[in-house]
Amino acid sequence: MSDLDRAIAQLRACRPIPEAQVRELCHKARELLIEEGNVVTVKAPVTICGDIHGQFHDLMELFRVGGDVPDTNYLFMGDFVDRGFYSLESFLLLLCLKVRYPDRMTLIRGNHESRQITTVYGFYDECLRKYGSANVWRYCCEVFDYLALGAIVLGASTALEPSKQNVPASAASTQDDVDSDIEIEVLSHDGSIIQKFPRGKARGLIGQNNSAAKRSSSPAAKTGPPGTGASGWSRGSTGSSSGAVLCVHGGLSPLIDGVDKIRLLDRKQEVPHEGAMCDLLWSDPDEIDGWGLSPRGAGFLFGADIVKVFNHANDLSMIARAHQLVMEGFKEMFDNSIVTVWSAPNYCYRCGNVAAILELGEDGMGESAHARSNGDVNRSDGGIMKENERVLLAGPARRYRVFQAAPQDSRGMPAKKPVADYFL
Amino acid sequence: MSAPQIPNLLGLRGGPRSRGSRGRGRGRGGGSELVTPSQQRKDLDIQSTDTDAAVSRLSAVSLGYLDDPFASYFVTGPGTRRLPIINRGTYTRTTALDILINAFLAPHDASHPESQSPPQPKQIISLGAGTDTRYFRLRAQNRHQNLIYHEFDFPSVSTGKLRLVSSNETLANQDPAANLFVQPNKASAETPESEWGFTRTAADGRSEVLYCCHPLDLRRLPYTPSLKSLGDIHGLRDDVPTLIISECCLCYLDVDNAQDVIKWFVDRIPSLGIILYEPIGVDDPFGQMMVANLAARNITMPTVKVYKRLGDQKQRISDLGFKKTSADGGQEAEAVDRIWENWITPQEKERVDDLEGLDEVEEWQMLARHYAVVWGWKGSSGWENWKTFQQK
Repeated sequence: MSDLDRAIAQLRACRPIPEAQVRELCHKARELLIEEGNVVTVKAPVTICGDIHGQFHDLMELFRVGGDVPDTNYLFMGDFVDRGFYSLESFLLLLCLKVRYPDRMTLIRGNHESRQITTVYGFYDECLRKYGSANVWRYCCEVFDYLALGAIVLGASTALEPSKQNVPASAASTQDDVDSDIEIEVLSHDGSIIQKFPRGKARGLIGQNNSAAKRSSSPAAKTGPPGTGASGWSRGSTGSSSGAVLCVHGGLSPLIDGVDKIRLLDRKQEVPHEGAMCDLLWSDPDEIDGWGLSPRGAGFLFGADIVKVFNHANDLSMIARAHQLVMEGFKEMFDNSIVTVWSAPNYCYRCGNVAAILELGEDGMGESAHARSNGDVNRSDGGIMKENERVLLAGPARRYRVFQAAPQDSRGMPAKKPVADYFL
Repeated sequence: MSAPQIPNLLGLRGGPRSRGSRGRGRGRGGGSELVTPSQQRKDLDIQSTDTDAAVSRLSAVSLGYLDDPFASYFVTGPGTRRLPIINRGTYTRTTALDILINAFLAPHDASHPESQSPPQPKQIISLGAGTDTRYFRLRAQNRHQNLIYHEFDFPSVSTGKLRLVSSNETLANQDPAANLFVQPNKASAETPESEWGFTRTAADGRSEVLYCCHPLDLRRLPYTPSLKSLGDIHGLRDDVPTLIISECCLCYLDVDNAQDVIKWFVDRIPSLGIILYEPIGVDDPFGQMMVANLAARNITMPTVKVYKRLGDQKQRISDLGFKKTSADGGQEAEAVDRIWENWITPQEKERVDDLEGLDEVEEWQMLARHYAVVWGWKGSSGWENWKTFQQK
């Protein structure tokens, strides 16, 4: 067993690794990340995850629901740290997995991967508490500066493949329903189907049934099924490749009209208070026209028109982003042109929300088009598929797995009862 | 002092036995022999909520949200920095109560300066006040001159506060005209702890109460035979407009018990107002998690299960007499997220936002939606500023 595998085992048990080992890990991680472009190209299949926020036990639940590394490829859209009590263990485990399986783990930067934010929201204090000095926090912050700002997922299929993980033999499973016409499938943590949304021909029907579908409640999502709308995309044909999916923590920037502009940024720095890099990590979609001021004091609000123009100009079928708490775990907006994925169940041990991850399957066209380009010097132009010149790109088939917070004393983990603050 | 070792069994008679609250942490003042360890622990857990509030207050003060030179006196140790949404919530809650209390204390007609007619004395009764600093803040602003201020809390809490105040130069001697007094608890013979506060010598030579802390288990107030009339509680008056404040206090009582406590004052003071600050909305996932998390700390809030929405809260105090009848009266309620939006000026919002930055917008809105300020009044004078408040 290598040192790295030992570190992974130790972190999986939620035990911090020694400072010297953190230093070495962070050094290796930086060497790896420095080779990545600002926008990493990732080949489907991949499972896209939103905010984790130091909720270590829930991260373990995520791996249980989504499949373990390296069996499942993951793309985490930032905000690994702060708020929860195990930011350190969560981030270091993800980093170890990145170093161990660089082509199977993609980590991009969230607005909490910042020196300034972590001193306010908990990660700094946690490092100080666990190591007695700020050294480990400093090592981690240096890694933050090298994290990519976004990722492009290529080769995602327009058809859902049978679910591989966690399908109970007895329960209703996706294996019974391999249905190429399903665009969106929502599964509970045990793999049973909560909802399905067909593509194309049933479009009008979905529109009509949508409100009824939203009312029907599911066992996993106590708050009602997630806000998936009808599909606006009807061009997809069975098993074909969809348009690319841009993954970014926050959203778009008025200073960025194309993915290539993101590639040109100098990212290796603390997150600035304004500018394109700041916006990518801070902005939120909102029901407005054009751009608006953000209540967060950084980034912007952007409306459906902005997303549609951007997606069209960049041959994207969809933007996946995190950054905003969604009680149902995920929320598609603007005719399915953007989705928020939230992966911290019962956020801050207080919010009572469920979490979700988004699985994109591979299109079955093999490695022909675009190999994964981590560390590939030609990565920056190995991006977007343009050969088809499609005006509207088919949205990928999306499988959302929705899950709840890990039980307090799950799997022999240390069961420190988290205390959430209230006004008392 | 009365003998603490002899429990007053009479005090336990006439309690709300028929109301199903038997065995639920009552009767703490009735002698520890009658209280089970689990009840005692529960009481201590409830009292610990005051420490929580004091730490949150100090956090908000240290970071510049609130101005309270007294906050640090009531926290032992360096204090804990709270997260921005908690600081903003502490700020909004405190500011909301300040706004309502200031409106209550202000003369109602600005066109008649105070000098022309003697200002009307007013009275505040703070329930479960704990280590609240509001009286000292009012005093520091010299707004205590025509005010009688009462606090009620568990004897151990009240005694702890006395220890702190009497040993602190600023708190004890800030007002040179005020004299600290400590005297046997006249209100409750079975409570050995002293009541205390500040008096001053009035123009006619009599001693008048400025501030009085009553060591009393509030739950027993409506059921204690020795507390039949207002005069049984030192310094309490029925002839001045009086405001009851419950900042997360009555929510820890059983529903009927909380109602009886308010009713005790309603029945005895003609011109009465009330401000409640408590959680609401416990039906949704956030609210359910709040109930579960607090239950894990051994804290239950029976009233939030009954008064779930703003409308329930308004009905609650309307039923207690704070309603428009032939005399004047009324009731209002607002959730804290709306108070932040509508009561805080844009400049002040900007100032507060700039202190730490607030990333967690959705969480703030969710958290703030789950707390309400409810206020009501009855009586012909003293509430003029409140009547026009919502229109402003």
